[in-house]
Amino acid sequence: MQTVKMVISGAVNAGKTEFIRTISEIEVVSTERPATDDTRLIKKETTVAMDFGRIAIGDDLVLHLFGTPGQKRFDFMWEILSEGMLGLVILVDSTRPETFRETNRIIDFFMSYRETPYVVAANKQDRPNAWSPEELRLALRLPSHIKVVPCMATDRDSVKNVLLELLDVIMQRSED
Amino acid sequence: MPLVGNIRDFGLSDFLYLVDRGYKTGCLHLSRVDEMASLYFDKGKLITATRKDDNAPVTDLLVRKGKLTPVQAVQAAQAHQNQNGVNLSQVLISLDLIGRDELQRVLQQHIEESVYALFGWNEGEFRFEQGQRPDPTAPIMPTPLAVEHLIMEGVRRIDEWGRIKDRIPSTDMVVKFIEQPIERTKGINLAADEWRVFARINGKDTLAEIARKTGMSEFDVCRIVYGFLTAGLVDVIRKPAPVPMLATGRPLAEAPRVKKSLVTRIINRIRGM
Repeated sequence: MQTVKMVISGAVNAGKTEFIRTISEIEVVSTERPATDDTRLIKKETTVAMDFGRIAIGDDLVLHLFGTPGQKRFDFMWEILSEGMLGLVILVDSTRPETFRETNRIIDFFMSYRETPYVVAANKQDRPNAWSPEELRLALRLPSHIKVVPCMATDRDSVKNVLLELLDVIMQRSED
Repeated sequence: MPLVGNIRDFGLSDFLYLVDRGYKTGCLHLSRVDEMASLYFDKGKLITATRKDDNAPVTDLLVRKGKLTPVQAVQAAQAHQNQNGVNLSQVLISLDLIGRDELQRVLQQHIEESVYALFGWNEGEFRFEQGQRPDPTAPIMPTPLAVEHLIMEGVRRIDEWGRIKDRIPSTDMVVKFIEQPIERTKGINLAADEWRVFARINGKDTLAEIARKTGMSEFDVCRIVYGFLTAGLVDVIRKPAPVPMLATGRPLAEAPRVKKSLVTRIINRIRGM
């Protein structure tokens, strides 16, 4: 059985757990605990280790989805999770510009580690005051070749679309 | 839908960059405690700025600065009432009450100073209303102002490491030009020290190395590069680390290459979900 891995990352409360929960075939293995630091101002529970979801591609192939913890003190997990990943989804809460700097820090971290195919998912596009994908591209100063995909992590079609956009980027780098 | 936030989290210079590159038209409202300011943009360029305590018509401003007599101000206001879709600045020029260049100079100086003062705000709510236009009597400049120039000057007034470190976390980072930097520098007047740093940017040297070669402090180099970065002239990247090699000869830092057939299988599976 071959397994491949995608990583879902982003700042606290970007919607990583929800994203994986929406698409995973199994009950997401999530290690949410009551938030203990500044995070509790944003949400009551947060992912302190990681989320894990799974999609069976066939009898011999499985796609694993790993959600990184958002809190800074779990940065060390990012390196472990990124080992051998096929691609990366960076989720951004489009309604909270205060998380944009942290999002840039996360992108910098993953890109300094290895040149990984990634897309940015502009989550919570259904909310009032959501910054549009193009505005997010400018705010995060992303180069034009990086895809910024509108997203609602609670909507299955929207999550599928993000993953398909990422797979399109991976496909361009894959070999015959 | 307005863009809202706090300049503590998303700085004024970042917002000006967004307005410029997004080619935006509208008004950026800023407020804190008892202060309010509004910056109006047309296709990414600044056309006017007003403060809560200073939002008088352009004629009042010109009278105050001795560029217009009260009688001329009344004459212009009356003429303006009979014209639709024209702002008061245009009326002043068409009546030959003030030359276009002189009006530009006076208004630009006034507006620039209003904007530069805003760079000193460490926090304050912002709200960008797309498409919102200024009152036609406002001090609208005949020639809209490119924001790169404002960013550079505003950033010159920043003297805190904290804000700079958000974008430049380490002096071990390398500075490189974005494509076509010369095009973008046309609207910017660089000071001598800024030219010294600008001339040292080669995509290889770190900020620490630039500081050493120019004899400037690391803080001054970082502050200047922060200005270039914010104005969209340069990019700051991590210095590439030596790449460890695997036994296969493939660099460890390279993402695993996968077969197209495998990716196609995953795509088909997700499409079918």
